[in-house]
Amino acid sequence: MEKPRRDGASSPRNGRQDGDTRRKRKTADISQALSANPVDVATLRRMAISEGGLLTDEIRCQVWPRLLNVAPHLLDQDPETVERENNKDYNQVLLDVQRSLRRFPPGMPDEQREGLQEELIDIILRVLKRNPQLHYYQGYHDIVVTFLLVVGERMATALVEKLSTHHLRDFMDPTMDNTKHILNYLMPIIERVNPEVHDFMQQAEVGTVFALSWLITWFGHVLSDFRHVVRLYDFFLACHPLMPIYFAAVIVLHREEEVLECECDMAMVHHLLSQIPQDLPYETLISRAGDLFVQFPPSELAREAAAHESMAASTFKDFELASTQQRPDSVLRRRRRQKQAALESSTVSPVGAVSQPSTARRFMRLAVMGLTVALGAAALAVVNTALEWAPKLDLFP
Amino acid sequence: MAERDPSAQFGGPFTNSTIPPPRTRIFKIIVIGDSGVGKTCLTYRFCAGKFPEKTEATIGVDFREKLVEIDGESIKIQLWDTAGQERFRKSMVQHYYRNVHAVVFIYDVTNHASFRSLPAWIEECKQHALGSEVPRILVGNKCDLQDSVQVGTDEAQHFADAHCMPLFETSAKSPNSPGTHHNSDHVEAIFMTVAHKLKSQKPLVLSQLPKGSEGTTALTGRIEGDNTAATWGSCGSC
Repeated sequence: MEKPRRDGASSPRNGRQDGDTRRKRKTADISQALSANPVDVATLRRMAISEGGLLTDEIRCQVWPRLLNVAPHLLDQDPETVERENNKDYNQVLLDVQRSLRRFPPGMPDEQREGLQEELIDIILRVLKRNPQLHYYQGYHDIVVTFLLVVGERMATALVEKLSTHHLRDFMDPTMDNTKHILNYLMPIIERVNPEVHDFMQQAEVGTVFALSWLITWFGHVLSDFRHVVRLYDFFLACHPLMPIYFAAVIVLHREEEVLECECDMAMVHHLLSQIPQDLPYETLISRAGDLFVQFPPSELAREAAAHESMAASTFKDFELASTQQRPDSVLRRRRRQKQAALESSTVSPVGAVSQPSTARRFMRLAVMGLTVALGAAALAVVNTALEWAPKLDLFP
Repeated sequence: MAERDPSAQFGGPFTNSTIPPPRTRIFKIIVIGDSGVGKTCLTYRFCAGKFPEKTEATIGVDFREKLVEIDGESIKIQLWDTAGQERFRKSMVQHYYRNVHAVVFIYDVTNHASFRSLPAWIEECKQHALGSEVPRILVGNKCDLQDSVQVGTDEAQHFADAHCMPLFETSAKSPNSPGTHHNSDHVEAIFMTVAHKLKSQKPLVLSQLPKGSEGTTALTGRIEGDNTAATWGSCGSC
């Protein structure tokens, strides 16, 4: 057995100065993209995905609305007041918000925190009131609080409303059936990268509920360091709505050794996986998630995910999507074939190999993945894919 | 904490048919009830021995365990702490009802609505095909808040009797501070009562059986409950 790889976590940076230079350059690139006419959203997406994300909350205030394509005039609207009495969601929202103390920066004065909690309740009730088709779920408040803390109440209302009718839409159905369906993508992704981990988890019958809070809160519920949360939000806001499930898979795969050492039992594996390590190498994992998305796009996984379904009638749009995604998919597959051909004719060490793959075919795939870890390409592909999916998903109307 | 003995997990189905190695038995208990009644606090209190400082909404299912000793045998009590919001129940919690040995229903004594929901929770158990031999208990939580009690002991006892469950009233917060509530049960005592009940049932499972021997894992179906414990009574209607 190999020792656990600590890729990214402790790799030496190229010195502080270099980091500063890169930051400055990135900041300048972002400003340029923002001031372009029309705004260069593709560059902003790439910036949000690439190392370090959007760097500061100040930048996020400018870029997040662009990533969600929220019209500027919506950001200036005064938030309307919401009736709390006789509101069907108020009790549950209040209960969850009152308990969300950990989401606020440690050391924040109680009074300030309580004010923000009031705003948090208002945002949630406002969005729900305006969109009666949306149903509140526990964990929604973890998403909203992130926006509130970064962009303030007014802008948060507009952004959360857009997010709720797009990225989070499936979680807000009357039932969680579609959410469960999305969770069904997890195991097929894991299987493709590391069949051993997949088989182990299947044998333990661990299910996927350990990743539920990751998915529906975009990890806001489980990560204690707020900087990590907003970094992930940069990434997810720039990507396809299913990216959080790829990131979940990457976390499981990153913990391969721990998983395989665990007792093969539902309780033990569930327990292990649901305790998310706080020192994850986020940047490495983000680029790996991007790679996996490119390699195994949702349309390719859709059939398997559906096979995991216990209920026959799935309303999820994958099949529809799969049929409309021929173009990007075939492009990606062609690209992959070319890369594989290139690999076969040269000797490349599998730098990005996640584990000991069981077949030569997988080995090859992982090697490809390793090569694309050079983030630029992957990020670009993710962006392109997301954009090409856009018309159908109505992500960027 | 976790046993790390993967080698034992992959034995064929016949390795266990001989005398099984001495292992820690596991009692799997699922904890259910409305959102905010204190499921997380109670399970945490039992497993960690203290009241948690900040608990948050449970999303999906959390899991806690504690090793206890009963009559010289050490037993692992696994508590499955489930989300209270109704929308999680159908799709998400299902999985965790499998092979459950006991059920703890919790309501909040200061919130009558959480008490009125109990029939729905009982119905959920029924839908997951838990047999009547699976012990159930009813726990009224937050009884330290004496000034805001909305569910009286009599009313709760009546309900518990009708459903053949023993009733406990407790507070995850201050179960040990003397004088706060003279009738309050200790959280430890409540879960230990369940554990004793389970231990008295026979034949109980070993912690894990090799996969592939499904017939033997569904042991709850063939437990011959000894309905001797007075608290569980013998209820004709159940």
